[in-house]
Amino acid sequence: MITFKLNGQEVQGEEGQYILQVAEKYGVEIPTLCHHKALEPAGMCRLCTVELFDGRRTRFVTACNYPIWEGMEVNADSEAVLEGRRLIVELLLARCPDVPIIKQLAEEYGIKEPRFAKEDDDCILCGLCTRICEKMGNSAISLTGRGVEMKVDTPFHTQTDVCMACGACVSVCPTGHIKLEDITRHIPEPILSEYDMGLAGRKPIYVPYAQAIPNTPVIDRTKCVHFKTGGCKICTEFCGVDAIDHSQEDEIVELQVGAIILAPGFQPFDPTGFDSYNYASHPNVVTSMEFERILSASGPTLGHLVRMSDHKEPKKVAWLQCVGSRDVNQCDHSYCSSVCCMYAIKEAVIAKEHAGNDLDCAIFFMDMRTHGKDFERYYDDAREKHDVRFIRSRVHKINPDEKTDDLVIRYVAESGEPMDERFDMVVLSIGMETAPDVIELAEKLGIDLTEGQFCQTGSFRPVATSQEGIYVCGAFQGPKDIPQSVIEASSAAAEAGALLSPARNTLTRTKEVPEERIVVGERPRIGVFVCHCGINIAGVVDVPGVRDYAKSLPYVEYVTDNLYSCSQDTQETITQVIEENNLNRIVVAACTPKTHEPLFQETLVNAGLNRYLFEMTNIRNQDSWVHKDDPDMATGKAKDLVRMAVSKVALLEPLPEAELDVNENAFVIGGGISGMVSAWALSKQGYKVHLIEKEASLGGQALNLFKTWRGEDVQENLSGLIRSVEDDPNIDLHLSTQLTGVEGFVGNFKSTLKSGNEEQVVEHGIAVLATGAAEYSPDEYLYGDDPRVVTHLELDRRFINDDPSLKDIRTAVFIQCVGSREPERPYCSRVCCTHTMESALNLKEINPDIKVYVLYRDIRTYGERESLYRKAREVGVIFIRYSLDEKPRVSKGEERLEIQVIDHALKRPLTFKADLLSLASAIVPYKDETLARFFKVPMNEDGFFVEAHAKLGPSEFATDGVFLCGTAHYPKPVDEAVAQAQAASSRAVTLLAQKKIAMSGTIAQVNPAYCSSCGVCIAICPFSAPSFLDEGPFAGKADVNPVLCKGCGLCVASCRSGALNLKGFGEEQIMAMVNEI
Amino acid sequence: MSDWQPKITTFLCNWCSYGAADLAGVSRFQYPHNFRIIRVPCSARVSPKFILAAFRHGADGVWVSG
Repeated sequence: MITFKLNGQEVQGEEGQYILQVAEKYGVEIPTLCHHKALEPAGMCRLCTVELFDGRRTRFVTACNYPIWEGMEVNADSEAVLEGRRLIVELLLARCPDVPIIKQLAEEYGIKEPRFAKEDDDCILCGLCTRICEKMGNSAISLTGRGVEMKVDTPFHTQTDVCMACGACVSVCPTGHIKLEDITRHIPEPILSEYDMGLAGRKPIYVPYAQAIPNTPVIDRTKCVHFKTGGCKICTEFCGVDAIDHSQEDEIVELQVGAIILAPGFQPFDPTGFDSYNYASHPNVVTSMEFERILSASGPTLGHLVRMSDHKEPKKVAWLQCVGSRDVNQCDHSYCSSVCCMYAIKEAVIAKEHAGNDLDCAIFFMDMRTHGKDFERYYDDAREKHDVRFIRSRVHKINPDEKTDDLVIRYVAESGEPMDERFDMVVLSIGMETAPDVIELAEKLGIDLTEGQFCQTGSFRPVATSQEGIYVCGAFQGPKDIPQSVIEASSAAAEAGALLSPARNTLTRTKEVPEERIVVGERPRIGVFVCHCGINIAGVVDVPGVRDYAKSLPYVEYVTDNLYSCSQDTQETITQVIEENNLNRIVVAACTPKTHEPLFQETLVNAGLNRYLFEMTNIRNQDSWVHKDDPDMATGKAKDLVRMAVSKVALLEPLPEAELDVNENAFVIGGGISGMVSAWALSKQGYKVHLIEKEASLGGQALNLFKTWRGEDVQENLSGLIRSVEDDPNIDLHLSTQLTGVEGFVGNFKSTLKSGNEEQVVEHGIAVLATGAAEYSPDEYLYGDDPRVVTHLELDRRFINDDPSLKDIRTAVFIQCVGSREPERPYCSRVCCTHTMESALNLKEINPDIKVYVLYRDIRTYGERESLYRKAREVGVIFIRYSLDEKPRVSKGEERLEIQVIDHALKRPLTFKADLLSLASAIVPYKDETLARFFKVPMNEDGFFVEAHAKLGPSEFATDGVFLCGTAHYPKPVDEAVAQAQAASSRAVTLLAQKKIAMSGTIAQVNPAYCSSCGVCIAICPFSAPSFLDEGPFAGKADVNPVLCKGCGLCVASCRSGALNLKGFGEEQIMAMVNEI
Repeated sequence: MSDWQPKITTFLCNWCSYGAADLAGVSRFQYPHNFRIIRVPCSARVSPKFILAAFRHGADGVWVSG
């Protein structure tokens, strides 16, 4: 350390530092124009000139490149210094009278007009550009000429190839003199952010996106200057922990695995080639992915809805559906991408939320495909409550208006009339496709692909590829949305788990932890650790100040600050400090507990402390990063936050994490496809299963299905599945059996089964609800009155039986949406459109001369099922659309059925004489409220069970240990039911495999003495954790089951008697924090 | 009056709003510093008592987000 005087104050700096660096550290301002942290100082601009007294005499030196020495005295703002500086600024102003930064300096030094002759230059010859160019390893420019002729130039004063157009010179030039086009022959290429879909830029060293895990920057070798010239490496100099290593090479790592799961996803379709949409040439035509970024708060416009050409707020936005989907003319994608209808509606509704209801949103579509759970309601709301316009048509062309940047959409309305409508912005709802490198990977692995280049799978093993041991999930299996991808992810895990079950737990290791110290009765001894996080916190907050402040707080025995509190060596130090100082409460003031609390809690455990004697406070994400411009306030806030944390931690108690044994038996209700697959998958993973079916035989609704959409014979596959379930020694079959009672909770259920007069109690750790749904029995279209009117399943039965009378049918009519998408039953039954295509094609196969008419509202053959729709049209099936207010009419006629429908294009009634009318009747749930009560699981208003999370928890309930699959969740075809059945088993195994469940310490607890038995806690808990005690001294009082409690505190805040408390977030603990604000 | 800054006591749900406040930091959004955040396991944990206590201890506003 070198000590010297700066402006009369004693300051310290490191050996080798320059005056300017020390001045900066102490907040002494010295102006400079030619200094840059990444470059060696050059003393070019002379603006940083200061007065130096060496003990004998005074002289002037430049602060940027004068090294400090012991005992020197520096004066940076003496009258002589200011006088000299003023002269320098005046000379610069004379040379560059129009450069903003010089004009601003002149104003600061009180110079209005220079006394010298004005020149017309904008270069101050600071040399930053030439020095940074050299640093970049290039030296494309240098200072040429002498004296007054000196200037920045390239060799021979021409554009040079040596320059790579990296732009470093432009970015450091303080005056704006450097123009890249004067220097280089190369055209500078912006580096576009992949995450922002090219709507914003990024750096060559970057964090891919804000939520990336790990949140670590990466270097783009194709853009980083170092990888081109060997120069730069400025990042290395600035990184405080030497984390950047440019010499790292790609490594090939060989792993021994038993199974492979492919989840490579999709790539969004690129509409650049569609000339008629002008996507490539007009900035106001964007893809739906780009629009997502525009709507995002972290996107290029911070969530502000603007169009790209002029950043004006649009008044009218149009969405064009099926861009790159259902299209064999412009691209080779005959399939439906499944998700675009729903996301377009979502984008339209959110756009209206962002921009206000004046925004006009119009969606141009062919068929609206909202076949997912609760999607149809969302569509109805968008249309009726949010006034999103839905225009059924296919758009021919988007014509840009060059004057206004508006876009005119030319389309043909349903009436056949050509229409023009003007919009400010157009969003192309682009579809999904498999990326070329994924197709290459598939070839390498030898797995088969479908016509649409998705992975080939079968309906009864929907995630198994054509290679044993290789499984697939997500959009590579076929275009799909999030819930179905999540289901398949679990399903693939179940397949892999079954394959590898003999090897389970053979490679696990057990962690050893020291015994927990008992701190009850001890006076709090708090340790506070304040983190610098490199410069992330310390660059703004006065960390030593916060540390010293913490020392003054009650019960604080130890304080320190760390450069990086999360580093491995700091963890070891903290462990040691806890032991040496006998600390019993710890506060870490650093980043966010959401990512780092578990790490520090682990450190506490390693030091023999209970993990709940810890409080973390966030002085980075919620302080230094968001108050960069106000270090004093940020420091004050950090002190407040530390004080609040200390006041809470003093009151924290050690909390036990009890363990609960898990009964390893599984329990599956429902003997249909879902229930059987689930039971079989659990058995294959090594667990005993009770399979309960109310009927006398297995099979469920699938017994009436003819073929899957892929053409597989359902009966053949079903009987195989039934045989394997019946023969499985792990599966205990309970046929003709009713469930009459359920007690207990996750890990420890007790269910009572009744078969005839016999009752049996079964103990199990988990339960899977696969109770299915039934076909709706229509009350219209002469169903039940006339034998020629049948449902899908009845027609399938005739196909299964090879009914010879099918050959004689001359005309068959299908009516879609019978009982679905009606006010009484507003959901879409998902499977019926595809089923109609299968049946229509079967009829055509049996009798190629048959006439088939399909009366529909929207055809929803999603994914590759679209191929059936295409085939049906190719073989001459006629599709006629009807609307809900003009439903078809059916009468018996004289000989044949007469069916009348209003044709939408012709606006005229059409009448068919038919021998068969097949109704695509809805799938209706059983609404089994007793079962819902037994397992404390919710049902939606339609009667389907409600999963834990619509997107991320589709195969489980919020109630722990209870899982869900099949049509009891929502209508679905065989392949999706099988996938969800496997998924439910996979989710169940995550519990069963643990053998013991560790309960969280942060749970609600009842003080029975205060409980008034009002029952509010029991009524409101979404996890069914509280219940009344049946026996003991506190019978009739509420009690919280620690296994089920999620620690949300809902019951605690709702308790009228103050009987409930949340451990770890107790009333007095939160109050302590409130009091300290 | 122009220098007056309200003091705001804030209760943020650990799973959503607290995470959002973290993300605001990651995105380097700059915002006023005159509120203090108390992390709660769920906005349902916020009892009316806490809100009253905050006002009693001089808060000018209470913000519950979850």
